[in-house]
Amino acid sequence: MTVSLAWALGGLLVILACCCLLDRQLRRACLAFIVFALVMSFTWWQLGVPWLAAAEALLGSLLTGAALLHALGRAGDVPRLPQRDATPPRGTEAPAHWLAALAWLVLAGLALAALLRSGRLPLDGDVELSLVPFALLVMVLGLWAFAHHRHLLRRLLAFNILGSGVFLLLAGLAGPGPEVQGLILVGLAVALVGSVLGVLLLRRLYALEESVTLEPGAGP
Amino acid sequence: MNSAASLLLWLALVAPLPLGLLAWLKPPRRMRAVVLAASALPLATLWLLPRVGEGALQGSLALGGLSLHWRLDALAALLLLLTQLVLLASAAYAVGHRRAALSGDVSHARFWPLLGGLAFALGLIWVAADLLLLYAGLELMGLCAVGMMLLPGKAEAIRAGLRYLIYALVGSLAWLLGVALLLGAWGTLELAGLAAVAEPDATTRIGMALLAGGLLLKAAIFPLHGWLVPVHASAWTPVSAVHGALVVKASFFILITLWRLLLPEAITAAWVLGMLGASAVLWGGLKAWRADSLKQVVAWSTVGQLGYLMLLFPLLAGTAASVAAMAWQATWLQLAGHALAKAAMFMAAGNLMLSTGASRLVDLAGTSRRLPLSLMTFGIAAVTLMGLPPSAGFTAKWLLLQASLESGQWPWVAVLVLGTLLTAAYVFRVLRCSFVEQAPRHEFHPLPRGMDLIPLLLALAAVGLGLVAEWPLAMLRQGGVS
Repeated sequence: MTVSLAWALGGLLVILACCCLLDRQLRRACLAFIVFALVMSFTWWQLGVPWLAAAEALLGSLLTGAALLHALGRAGDVPRLPQRDATPPRGTEAPAHWLAALAWLVLAGLALAALLRSGRLPLDGDVELSLVPFALLVMVLGLWAFAHHRHLLRRLLAFNILGSGVFLLLAGLAGPGPEVQGLILVGLAVALVGSVLGVLLLRRLYALEESVTLEPGAGP
Repeated sequence: MNSAASLLLWLALVAPLPLGLLAWLKPPRRMRAVVLAASALPLATLWLLPRVGEGALQGSLALGGLSLHWRLDALAALLLLLTQLVLLASAAYAVGHRRAALSGDVSHARFWPLLGGLAFALGLIWVAADLLLLYAGLELMGLCAVGMMLLPGKAEAIRAGLRYLIYALVGSLAWLLGVALLLGAWGTLELAGLAAVAEPDATTRIGMALLAGGLLLKAAIFPLHGWLVPVHASAWTPVSAVHGALVVKASFFILITLWRLLLPEAITAAWVLGMLGASAVLWGGLKAWRADSLKQVVAWSTVGQLGYLMLLFPLLAGTAASVAAMAWQATWLQLAGHALAKAAMFMAAGNLMLSTGASRLVDLAGTSRRLPLSLMTFGIAAVTLMGLPPSAGFTAKWLLLQASLESGQWPWVAVLVLGTLLTAAYVFRVLRCSFVEQAPRHEFHPLPRGMDLIPLLLALAAVGLGLVAEWPLAMLRQGGVS
């Protein structure tokens, strides 16, 4: 992989993350996430880790994507979730969430700056390292969406995007060695199980109370 | 010899998975069956205990290009034994609980594979010696715990469970980001290797801060405890017992292990963690005192009691060796005593609520005469939480007090005294409500005898641990503070 291809892929990931997190049409947002995960998979392949690419395509794109789409689908006699997110954004209502997101970003930024200054990382035009700024951008988008949205499906999407940002950062900082592959593999499995659980619960919650948020009493 | 011990250890660690699957397919109907099937596990650990006294058992598993390191020292072996005993008691209790409270509820069978997964994950956490194994164990534990909390399937349970799930997932991403920074800076995931090469520079500090943030969230340490109480409110009793006794403590164990490897000299940060613990003791105690349902009292008391564990950080950082040794032993004794007592207390509270069919404190009126055994169990468990002699809680708090005095860290003395007073206040509030005599007559629902016996045994074990504390503490001393 060349540095310019890494830049192109990173840019594409950021654009797809925006599509996924900004769209109130939930089906389109989920589809954007599936494409996002496929581009992640292509990135792993280009970094020379075909196994991880296969795992990302299967666990991240196919299964997690299917789980998220399942939230919107029809199954059995449960009422169907509205296809559009009509909840008002959270705004400045939850300052703790915003503070946590900000702390996360500041810490990550400071650590990266310290790491780059220490000179322990190989710096001469390294392909992996050129992914790091995009990883940070993807994390910013994920954190913003996580603090901003109320709809639980969109928060699950934000969690998945944030996780992908962390994976990218991991590969960018430490290279795609076996340890990194192991960590990302566990992370993908956790994200899949978490998404499946979250979606099943969301459907159940909607069936019981017609609610798609964590706040009791708030309508869809 | 060594390889036989390693083999036995891994058999004991993995065995809960097939046992859980078996129980899923064929749910046990008698407590005796569970006890017979699973009591081999604590026996195996007992056999291993004297063998790890001289030197830790360790090794690595190779998976492709990846090698995973594990290590069983005296502390890990004692924690494994504690885990197996509490899980065994909860499993046996769950059989009776299903018969008494949930007959006909088909979703109960799913409790078993989740319990098996949880047992495996906890074992993995105690023996893991690299960040990847710890990550796998932590996540498996978190997901199994969320799954168990959700089994009742009511709207409040789902909402509380979803909040728990989302917090747990975000906590695990913070953890992963911290690991990414450490791996990027030092190039290894193995704990011993990290301890050898890592210097306490800015990257290590920030990586540790992110790890700590994720773990504090999962351990429900003040002020990140918001998810804990609602999640207990609707969970089944055996699930609450396992969660309050073991799950939150595994995150604390990981935190202290990593902290001592990476930032042993960070005194300011250690004091911040100690202050969080002190606030948890006071806030948890106050909320438990003001709570009006029995389950809330017990859940808030978990928030408070976890705070005592956090006092270990300032007492270890830059203090004399004798102080550090005392605080070290006190913390693990407090953890073990609290695990036994809290499991007993959740079960006793569950029995009281099941028998009276009510969950508010005022509805406990009249239980002192009708349900003396459950109430007595609650009281004995409370002895450990309050730290009255001769319980394990007393020995632990006494050692903590001495360590604080000797190191001149006066604030913790006040915290210990106030925490004990608050604990006494909420315990006696529960007892006062149950000794009210002019009560409307309840229908008292009879319970299987084992359901009274198991929490009583656990509560007595917590008190008895104080009498035989010298045995585990000597093992800990032999292993050294490190």
